[in-house]
Formats: sequence, C-alpha cells, structure tokens
Amino acid sequence: MRPYTPQDSVSVTAYDSVWATETRPAETQDAFERTMLSEDKLYVVLGVVLLIWFGILVMLFRNERKIAQLEKDVEGLGG
Amino acid sequence: MTSWHVPRVCCAGDNEFESMSKVKLTIKATIAVWMTAVVLGAFLLAIPKMPILEHTARNLYFHVPMWFTLMAALLVSAYQSGKYLRTGNIVHDIRAEQAAWVGVAFGVLGLVTGMLWARFTWYTGTGKWWNNDPKQLMAAVQLLIYGAYFVLRSGFDDERRRARLSGVYNLFAAATVPFLLYILPRQFTSLHPGADGNPAFDEITDPVMRLVLYPAFIGFIALFWWIYDQRVRLALVERALDEQADYAQPTA
Repeated sequence: MRPYTPQDSVSVTAYDSVWATETRPAETQDAFERTMLSEDKLYVVLGVVLLIWFGILVMLFRNERKIAQLEKDVEGLGG
Repeated sequence: MTSWHVPRVCCAGDNEFESMSKVKLTIKATIAVWMTAVVLGAFLLAIPKMPILEHTARNLYFHVPMWFTLMAALLVSAYQSGKYLRTGNIVHDIRAEQAAWVGVAFGVLGLVTGMLWARFTWYTGTGKWWNNDPKQLMAAVQLLIYGAYFVLRSGFDDERRRARLSGVYNLFAAATVPFLLYILPRQFTSLHPGADGNPAFDEITDPVMRLVLYPAFIGFIALFWWIYDQRVRLALVERALDEQADYAQPTA
C-alpha cells in the first residue's frame, strides 16, 4: 500500500492533527504525551477501551446491589 | 399446582444463600481484575508487525473469544434445557433462556467485530462489509437458529408448555452448533485459520499471542457467567412478582 501523504485530499489535510495554516508548536511534548503518541497512537485506543470497560464494570456492580435489594424485597413481600 | 416445581426464588437471611452470594461477589471482583489485565496485555504486549494485519492482529484477543463464549453459553443453555425436561423444575427453563440470550449477544458481537475487522484489513478499498466467508455465513445461520428459539418461546402463554417445547427445540439447536461453527466452515477455503486442517492457530500466528488469548477465553466466558447470573436472578424476581399478582387475582 502507498504510504499516506497529507496531500491525499483536502479534507484529510483540514482535519489532520495540525491545521494547514498553523505552525507546529516547537518541542512542547512531555513524557506522557510522547508515550501516548508512540506505537501509532495505540495507547490512546487503550485509554478509550479502559474507560469503556471501567464504565461497564461500574454498571455491573451497581446491578449487583440493585438485584440483591430486589431479592430481599420480594422475600419481604412474600412473607 | 403441585409444590415440587415452584422455585425457591430467594432466601435472604438464609446462611447458605448469603455465603453463596459472598463467594459469587469475590469471583466477580476477580473477573473485573482479570479482564482488566487481559485488556492491558492485549494492548501492551509487543507483537510482530505483519503486513496487511498490522495492529489489527490484536483483534484476535477480542473477536475469537466471542465465539468461544457463544459456544460455552449454548452448552450451558442446552444442559439447562435437558435438566428441565428431566426434572420439570421451571428454574432450569429460565436458566436455559438466559444463557441462550447472553450467548447470542456475544455471538452478535463476534459477527460485527469480524465484519469490521475484515472490512478494513482484507477488504480495504472494496467497501465490502459482508464477504460471505464460510464461517461468517454459518455463524449468521447459527444466530438465526437461536433467534427462532426466542420467537418460539414468545408464542406461548402457558409457561409449562413453553418450557417443554422450547426445551426440545433448544436441544436440536445445540446439536447444530458443532456442524455450523466447526465442521462445515473447515470444508471450504476461508479467511479463518483451520480451513486446511490446522485446528485453531495459523502457523504464522506468533506464540506470544497465546499469553493473552487463552486468558481472554477464560475472562470472556467468566464475564458471560456474570451477566447470566444477574439476568437469571432478575428473571426469578420477576416471576415471583408475577406469581404474587396471580395470587392476588386468582381469576387472571
């Protein structure tokens, strides 16, 4: 496959990480940013997936508490 | 109504039940940590860079466990249906339905993740989301067979008839699983490994990937159990509430 070049299309250039009219700020990357941008920005995807996963976990554990409460309530209703 | 098939819905205050819930909660917390480790390993473990595949090779860790989870869930479902047919205890029918439901949810995820993977890996530039790979086709047929199970269930008002007939159907449906997901797709050339006699892994798959893939199988099947456990408990609460409503209005 041909390597990507910013000239491929106008829209790609316009939405690229650096605006066409802007000049890239010189050497402001700290260690955290350098890590996140390495490996083709794979770690950004890891961050997204972890956020989703922790969200699902919060939901699952909240469900646990609600179901346990329902089980108690139903038993209380039934005598 | 005889009493032998009325489920013991819950028994708060019962020591056995409470200690069981504690054991279950410990297992669930373990699953949370385990799966977090799987996700970290899936992203952080260095894998060889292959042409065409590139980072999408990591999809192996997520896409393949969907199918193992589906098969495990359908096995649980068929087992519970068999148990219902032998014992007549409605709890087993509820378990069979919920296992199939959560399993099919994982199957749908397996299908769409495979579509996304193939579209941007082997079918770039073609716009093809559906490529009629034998495994893709058979998996779709498999999900339709289980879709019919839920349609069949919705056709009954009487829960005993629903449980008996859908239980028998479920056993037939389970009998198709090894053929549709295992035997038939291997008779044709396919994007999937295994088509030429290799049981699961391609020769080109790096052994380091097993370090994440096998724990992912365990983790996702455990995650299935977690959701299944919640849904069964909710279904039992729901049924108990229905029964209470029936006692309040016996003519209904």
